[in-house]
Amino acid sequence: MSVRREDDGTTIVLDGHCPVEEAEPLLQFLQASPAACLDWRQCTHLHTAVLQVILAARPQLIGPCGDAWVQRWVASNVL
Amino acid sequence: MNALHEQFIAEARELIHQATDDLIAMEREGFALERIDRVFRAFHTLKGSAGVVALPAMGLTLHAAEDLLAAIHAGKLDASSAIVDQALACLDQVARWVDDFEAGGALPPSAGEDARSMAAMLRSLLSESGVTETAKKSAQRSSAPAAEGRLPKWVSRLIESHQGRIVDETRESPAELFAFSYEPDSQCFFNGDDPLNLMRKVPRLLAFHAEAHETWPPVADLDPFACNLRLQGISAGGHAELADIFRLVPDQVRLVEVPLEALRLDQAHGADDDDRVGLIRVVIEEQRQVLRAANQGDDMIGRIGAVSRAAANALRYGGLQDLADAIERANVAALSERNAGHLLSALDQTQALLPRASSAVPPDAAVVSGSADAQVEEAERPASRALRVDEGKIDALVNLAGELIVAKNGISHLARRLQDELEDRELARAVRREHDAIERLAGEMHAAILQLRMVPLAQVFRSFPRLVRDMSQRLGKKVRLVTNGETTEADKAIVDRLFEPLLHLVRNALDHGIENPEQRRTAGKAEGATVTMRASRAGDRFIIEVIDDGRGIDPAIVRRRARERGVIGDDELAALLDDQVIDLIFSAGFSTAAEVSDISGRGVGMDVVRATVERIGGRASVISRIGAGTTVRLDLPMNIAMSRIMVVSAGGQIFGIPMDAVTETVRLAPDRVSRIKNNDGFVLRDRIVPICSLAELMKLPQARPPGLDARLVIVTDISGKVIALEIDAIEDRLEVVLKPLQGLLSNARGYAGTTLLGDGRVLLVLDLKEILP
Repeated sequence: MSVRREDDGTTIVLDGHCPVEEAEPLLQFLQASPAACLDWRQCTHLHTAVLQVILAARPQLIGPCGDAWVQRWVASNVL
Repeated sequence: MNALHEQFIAEARELIHQATDDLIAMEREGFALERIDRVFRAFHTLKGSAGVVALPAMGLTLHAAEDLLAAIHAGKLDASSAIVDQALACLDQVARWVDDFEAGGALPPSAGEDARSMAAMLRSLLSESGVTETAKKSAQRSSAPAAEGRLPKWVSRLIESHQGRIVDETRESPAELFAFSYEPDSQCFFNGDDPLNLMRKVPRLLAFHAEAHETWPPVADLDPFACNLRLQGISAGGHAELADIFRLVPDQVRLVEVPLEALRLDQAHGADDDDRVGLIRVVIEEQRQVLRAANQGDDMIGRIGAVSRAAANALRYGGLQDLADAIERANVAALSERNAGHLLSALDQTQALLPRASSAVPPDAAVVSGSADAQVEEAERPASRALRVDEGKIDALVNLAGELIVAKNGISHLARRLQDELEDRELARAVRREHDAIERLAGEMHAAILQLRMVPLAQVFRSFPRLVRDMSQRLGKKVRLVTNGETTEADKAIVDRLFEPLLHLVRNALDHGIENPEQRRTAGKAEGATVTMRASRAGDRFIIEVIDDGRGIDPAIVRRRARERGVIGDDELAALLDDQVIDLIFSAGFSTAAEVSDISGRGVGMDVVRATVERIGGRASVISRIGAGTTVRLDLPMNIAMSRIMVVSAGGQIFGIPMDAVTETVRLAPDRVSRIKNNDGFVLRDRIVPICSLAELMKLPQARPPGLDARLVIVTDISGKVIALEIDAIEDRLEVVLKPLQGLLSNARGYAGTTLLGDGRVLLVLDLKEILP
């Protein structure tokens, strides 16, 4: 599972390759705990659908993003 | 030719048509802002698509035209006929290029030169007239692929937020820059697409932005699998590579060339820090202006965000991270209190803290502004719901449906045999029932398939406003064209063949029908004449009328000409009423080369109009009143694939006769027939109708001696000539698919075509016009 919630419920972690299917669980986590932080340092590849959830929900991010392209082009200008 | 190119060709033609229509309407009905806007959009979209298929020459020309239209739109230039002329000429040129591109996949070698001279002409109109200083300046820079201010807002925004990097990159290795805006289809995730992956492939990406295509819904309502993103960026990787990356999603991507001057390279040519600081100063100053210009309206929040982003980026680019952070802090404060004051004072502070630059910053320096381009943002047309299908495929369906009907007629024949030969009524009735069901279904299917081939008459009508405009200018006549009923639909094969006859009718109306302005004034008419093209549906046929309010046709002149040219015998001519005389204009040989003019000439007369119309199963007639005008009426079938025929026997053979030629059938008692000269004839409603024997015409032995029994005739009306055709019996009435004669028979005269009968026999269908004397 590349999306998981830390036990304390305050942090959601994206780990490794995050394909399209991860968009839904990520969204559910963010809906359940809107104040949670998102740690995407271990994420190596982000699918568009997953990024879209992040862009829409705008959680507090713990970075830098492990996906270098996303870090370069999204984390620094868009978010 | 790949799908992208095909789509480009089809779309370009549509846009050219639309822009032509709008230009002409604009000239006629006044230069309303909305119209200019539409024309501008059409040019703009054309230019964009020319960019996508990499036709720079076309882009250059269209760009010049676009600038001209933009100047009119902005009120810097007064619209005039000269401008409309030039814009139309530009569209003509583009239309020719589209043809070339379709034929050879490329523009002709002369395209570059043509493009430059066309662009120069367009720009000369821009500088000639009372254009303001700035407009003049941009006109002189004619080589610019896109003048500043012409850039869509989103491109300006991208440049603004990544200015530093873009300037750096292009300074190190100059390249053509292209901005792209990609809106992935909302269902794209289901197709396994990952739009971000395309972004990752973009070579030499210099700027990137991602935003919601439609405002994000609350997180609770978000659909994670519906893509709602707009991905934008600027690349220095070259057009070809971008086009290749987006080749599968051309409909979702817009590519815009970013002219280097949009980057204000002139202020950043050197590599030294002074210039860099100077640039930052310019950017910051610009941001201050943006903020000051803002009202406390709804866009305030957006402005604050954009301004702080641009300023912070500029500062980071200059290595001034602390100042950038300060701006971002001010941004947060400004946003939370919805007060731009915080940001404004932070900008002022930044300006003061910037290292002193040795070179002065020009006071008027401004970063690209996307002023008049809100309309460009909205320029996307709604996606067409139409399906483009190759005509050949539809024709194959039409043929199959036709064969099905023939096969169905076979079952009908079978049912009759069952009844006659086996005398099994029960079985015959069952077969008949099934036959009826198949007949209904086959008929519906045939109709549905024919419906596929139906196209609106607008397809032919829409060439005419332009033609009428050009012709009336050349003739020095004032003519307004009114079209009505363009939505009337008919089979494509018919609509396609109507252009020439209609062109001829309209030319005639303009050339011969409509008087000079002085003549019209003298006659007490309005100087501006009206030509109306009107289409309407009448049952399973449709009518097109070409009506002018000109001088009308003088029967006396027609009589004289007909006599001079021997179109008709003198006796016959004398017997004709005035209304019938006018019809002689359709006779072969009536119009001669002597009256061939530039406009309606080419040696084709009205006879060709009638012949063409009759070949597709139509009829042409004319009504005219001296001084009041002329109406030519074409009565046409909606489709030609099915014909109703009457199967008759004569001389021991059967023939088909098209029903549209038959007005009635009459059984004549011997005493009704009288001998007139060498011919038999009878009186039908006070009119003498000659009788011809079909057997005799077909050189067949007479089945029975004429005289004693009642004689059966069908009365035909061919081009107003009424003749009774004697036959032995009427066998059947059928709806058939008429096939033209082929092979050895293709030159045989007298036949309209053949069809297969239910029992497998071939039925020859007669062309009465050719066989009747």
